[in-house]
Amino acid sequence: MLTKRQKSFRLLTILVLLALLAITLIPIYWSVVMSIDRTVLTEVPMPPRLFPKEFSLRSYEYAFKTLPLVRYFSNTLFLTVVNTSICVFFALCCGYAFAKGKFWLTNFWFLSMLAVMMIPFESIMVPLFLQYRNWGLLDTYWPLILGSFAYVFGAFLARQNMSALPDALREAAFLDGASEWRIFFTIIIPLSGPTIATLCILQAIGQWNNFLWPLIVISSREKHVISVGVSMFNANQSTMYLGPRMAVAFISTLPLMIMFLFLQKYIVASIALSGIKQ
Amino acid sequence: MTKSNNMPLKWRLKRNLEWYSFIAPTVICLAVLTYFPLLNGLRYSLFRVSVVGFGEKFIGLRNYQALLTSSAFWNAALNTLVLAIYSLIGIPLGFALASMINSLGRSRAQSFFRVMFYLPNIVTGVSVVLVFRFVLLRNGGLLNTALSMIFGKEVTIGWLTDPALTKIGATILSIWSGLGYIMLICLAGMQSIPTEIYEAASIDGSNAWQSWLHITIPNMSGTFAFLLITRIISGLSRFSDLYMLGGNNAAGNPNASLQTILMYIYQFSFATPNFGLSTAGSFVLLIMILVVTIFNLRITGFFQKDAA
Repeated sequence: MLTKRQKSFRLLTILVLLALLAITLIPIYWSVVMSIDRTVLTEVPMPPRLFPKEFSLRSYEYAFKTLPLVRYFSNTLFLTVVNTSICVFFALCCGYAFAKGKFWLTNFWFLSMLAVMMIPFESIMVPLFLQYRNWGLLDTYWPLILGSFAYVFGAFLARQNMSALPDALREAAFLDGASEWRIFFTIIIPLSGPTIATLCILQAIGQWNNFLWPLIVISSREKHVISVGVSMFNANQSTMYLGPRMAVAFISTLPLMIMFLFLQKYIVASIALSGIKQ
Repeated sequence: MTKSNNMPLKWRLKRNLEWYSFIAPTVICLAVLTYFPLLNGLRYSLFRVSVVGFGEKFIGLRNYQALLTSSAFWNAALNTLVLAIYSLIGIPLGFALASMINSLGRSRAQSFFRVMFYLPNIVTGVSVVLVFRFVLLRNGGLLNTALSMIFGKEVTIGWLTDPALTKIGATILSIWSGLGYIMLICLAGMQSIPTEIYEAASIDGSNAWQSWLHITIPNMSGTFAFLLITRIISGLSRFSDLYMLGGNNAAGNPNASLQTILMYIYQFSFATPNFGLSTAGSFVLLIMILVVTIFNLRITGFFQKDAA
């Protein structure tokens, strides 16, 4: 039971949080309003408006006309789906092997993976770029995809969760003559739903926002991912009308926003988990 | 399976091959795309390389010497450090926010605020920069307009144009997009503190404020350490938002006041290639991050856990 004092304190907290929330979200709201206001041209409207003066979707039309946005979206979606699938699948494979497997040099391989977690990608980025250049693979999607075969953090998370699975099921299947791959597909994967969901969510968000590496390896305009494509547009067209710019900002963030609104419960839980488990 | 040592060699070989097939793709990928470039980078950093394959010349540690005597590199290193330290302000802010949200108890209001405050983290990096360029605009920007209204006189602070203030502007941007994450991690940390402790304290007459001060904060030390380390590490390798703020330029506009180490590396790899210098810079970055990581593993007791 809440006392009267506790109740009013709770109400006060809610009001303060609402005020803070308004401050936090106002930049998003403001940019959306500018994107649907026909009168926003080269100058930021003074004073800032809470509602568009003249509603119109012309900025969006213009954005789609000047930028190959559909192309960027398909590129990014393709890479996100392919990379997330590869990352998560091979992370599960490694997780299973290190959780249940007994093989020669287990600890050596495990430690060599552990060590990679301490090597930031940024520090090997330049030699890696030169390597792909020697292989003649620049400006293709190979450099963006091949790295996905090693999702080390995912392998650790999978190993941790799979270690907790009971051995009895595996042993029964093993005595029936099932191979490890069969056990993996028919027993382990169906029991790893939450792990798979967490890894997919973390990867999908990461892949969608990937910026530096695609910026370095992709040079053709039509091959760009959305983040790089939009940033180039932003840098080149400094005289471009504000409305379309805000429209582009909103469009490029829309897919993740929609995904977030539908999966918010799982996303929030996955992020919190990834923080605790490290 | 447990008696594998008594089994014939052929069977053991087969079992090993089976397990190796699980880890082989990842191990090969790491060898070719992480360890090999790492060693290559070390090699490049000891050579004078501008165009790889043409006239590389061994020059020992002279790239490192050039790097450590270059004022541009020190400027970048200092910028990176200052920005990383500024971004730590997000931790107490996020913790305060999480405390308020947590005090609502498990309820609809709590999940509403948890999700809504997390929303800015979902916004794609490039959109944040696009929008914040105008939020932080000198004339007519949202922030300056709000400040003008509060103080009742025209405020024209060049958050992104005055080199003395750009780091504050860049920090406002990073706090806006990172606060939700800190809040979420703090909230998860708070909710994993056993409720019995709070119950025992309230029986002993402790009020909410005292419980927060003497139970919540001490029990959150692990979470704070985690956030501190991850913030510093991500701060050390900060690139994308500042690169876009400078108009897709790694020079750290205006006046190199926002050039980080990674932007410096980028500049000497892709704008004016000097791969010897830039790989040397990469190794300095690697060492900085390694030091922070090892420090982290020590304080979180990772080594002891592994040894036990």
